[in-house]
Amino acid sequence: MSVFMVTEKDAKRLKPSLTAGLIFLLGIAMVLVGQLAINMVLTHDAYELRALKIEKRELATEVQIIQEEVSSLSSPQNLADAANQLGMVANPASVLLDIETDEIYGKPTPARAEGGQVAAANMIANSALGTVSDFSIATVAFGVLEVSVEIVDSTDAGLVLRSGLIPASPTR
Amino acid sequence: MGTHAKLNRRLGAFAVLLLLMVSGLSVRLVDFQVVKADEIQEKSLQSRSQTETLQALRGDILDSSGQVLAKTVFRYDINAAPKNVGPVFQTIDGVRTERSVEDIAMELSQVLGIEYSELILKLDGDSEYSSLAKKVKAETYNAIKDMGVPWIFTDQFEDRLYPMGAVAGNVIGFVGSDGTPLAGLERQYNTCLAGVDGQRSFERSAEGLPIPTSNQTTQPTQNGGSLNLTIDANLQFFAQQVLADTVQELSAQWASAIVIEVETGKILAAAEAPSVDPNDPAASAAEDRGARIFQAAFEPGSIMKALTSAVVLDTGTASEYTTVTAPDRMDLDFDNEYIKDSFDHEDYTLSLAGVLRYSSNTGMTNFASQIDRNTRYDYLKKYGFGSVSPLRFEGESSGILHPASEWDEMTNLVTTFGQGVSVTSLQMGFAYQAIANGGVRLDPRLVENCMDEDGGIAYTPEQGSTRVVSEANADLNLELMEKVVEFGGVGKTAAIPGYRVAGKTGTAQLKDGSGYGSEYAISFYGVAPAENPKFVVGVTIYRPEGVSNSARATPPFKAIMQQALKHYRIPPSTTESRDIPSDKFGKVDVND
Repeated sequence: MSVFMVTEKDAKRLKPSLTAGLIFLLGIAMVLVGQLAINMVLTHDAYELRALKIEKRELATEVQIIQEEVSSLSSPQNLADAANQLGMVANPASVLLDIETDEIYGKPTPARAEGGQVAAANMIANSALGTVSDFSIATVAFGVLEVSVEIVDSTDAGLVLRSGLIPASPTR
Repeated sequence: MGTHAKLNRRLGAFAVLLLLMVSGLSVRLVDFQVVKADEIQEKSLQSRSQTETLQALRGDILDSSGQVLAKTVFRYDINAAPKNVGPVFQTIDGVRTERSVEDIAMELSQVLGIEYSELILKLDGDSEYSSLAKKVKAETYNAIKDMGVPWIFTDQFEDRLYPMGAVAGNVIGFVGSDGTPLAGLERQYNTCLAGVDGQRSFERSAEGLPIPTSNQTTQPTQNGGSLNLTIDANLQFFAQQVLADTVQELSAQWASAIVIEVETGKILAAAEAPSVDPNDPAASAAEDRGARIFQAAFEPGSIMKALTSAVVLDTGTASEYTTVTAPDRMDLDFDNEYIKDSFDHEDYTLSLAGVLRYSSNTGMTNFASQIDRNTRYDYLKKYGFGSVSPLRFEGESSGILHPASEWDEMTNLVTTFGQGVSVTSLQMGFAYQAIANGGVRLDPRLVENCMDEDGGIAYTPEQGSTRVVSEANADLNLELMEKVVEFGGVGKTAAIPGYRVAGKTGTAQLKDGSGYGSEYAISFYGVAPAENPKFVVGVTIYRPEGVSNSARATPPFKAIMQQALKHYRIPPSTTESRDIPSDKFGKVDVND
């Protein structure tokens, strides 16, 4: 290692530039701040991602609950019981109309509640049945109000549309 | 110079010291960065990395119209840590309140539907785990979660749900509590339905959050495929309703009904009673958890006659006009054996249609005994008897059909009217399908395909076919079978207004020890519309109490066939059946 003696002028010339030093330090500071900002964004996103995943899981759970409800309501067991509660009777004799030839196939026969081969109510086990159709008076009354269908008793009323309500057909 | 020398010495010493320090640090640095680098990196990664198994979802089972018969859902086990049980502080509307353990337990007992006294015992103690409820639904899980009790925790797991319960339950099968498929299509098609679990690894921050850039899926999850069946759930439900009613009314051991689409060989319904609810198989007796249509073989009795008559026609042994004498009892020339009809009558002169109409054993014997036993055996094989179908359903029975060389004299004759041979409902249904389909028996189809997660077809079962009899003879045979429904004593009750129906009754006495006892398997197998067959429906009722003829098998047949015709919008027949001799004098009968 050697030590060199220089003149004052040379020493001034060789003296490190303050501006360059400041720029260097500022550059480092900016890189650090940038890195910090990126880290903050990433951390924030990680929390957001977690929150979104939780929300997704909750929504999936909600979907499952609703799907199970729909499955239960649309199961043939519930439909059979619902139809039975409403007094519906299956008519095995079908009558088909051919719209091209105007032909009628089959003989119309009234459905009979008694003596049918098919059980009126459901006889097939389904332990997955949860939500079932409810035809209690309160529910039915609520349903009538909700669907905005007005039952027209008088045949004279005809098919008149009144104040947004669709009247039921007077057909007997 | 003296000053210079002194300065140089000091600088030299400093430089040496600096060099030593830098060397020391360098050695350490190399040790950390190079020599032990892998070890340190591994330790570091281990402390923050985590591997997670991504569970693949088991695929759905769907009916022919896409209705879900089986699906995967999540269920939850609700647990508590008694060690930590204590009052819970909650802030409601900005007010911090304390909820006592008793108060929480009261709400919990209502949500979980268990007794308060039972629940409070489960919360008592110093253990870290106590199971409060198992396999609860998502609504209950949500309610528990909303309670915000820190000492209650839940475990989520996959479970199988069968939304339609016992509809096609015997065919679908079920899985065990651990998800292992145990029976039916669930087991047979496990390769399609079960997915492949995935795996991902990621690094976790000090706060326990996954570090976003560290996520790495090492094994992608492959969810199970969907199994699309040919079963029509609505028709299946209808058939099961009819059978459940029938079994109850007749106190029968069981009943089965199969509905086959003639042109495609698709099984639209494979119903039976009693049935099994796959959601709760333990609620059914062990013998009712299988699928009897495929697994139970029985002596068919007279339903076989409609198949034998086709053989008689196809071998040219007789035409629809040929007649034989049919006494009510016919003594045989060996071992003092005899064959008799089910009712006493004078000697009839019967055509083939007459034999079917009166279900005459002696008449059928007189026709079919003219055919070589090996030829008849070959026809029975072509009908599909004595072997398992290409469905290869779990535990499927092949029935019993001994080689013709092993038939004794009696077996040689009685096989013509369905004794000495046992069959499954599936086999008999498809033998009738062959007659209805112009003599060509199609392989049964129960599974349409297996569809992978992306909607691509992963697997479609191949379907073969076997010509059993010629088209002309199959069609002619159907015309003979129509006379059973037009004029037959019992057969008439199978008639469906507006449609031409062809079919055959069967009342098979069941073996009791070495002989035949007083119990029966009664059947009716039929085809409609006869002029353009769309469906085969076969109904068998096993051991009905106090029933000795097939009159009780026709109402379920009629109900199911009528429903199939209505459901699939099949127009009623527009033609009349042909006049063919079928009365007891071998003449054409216009009306009885």
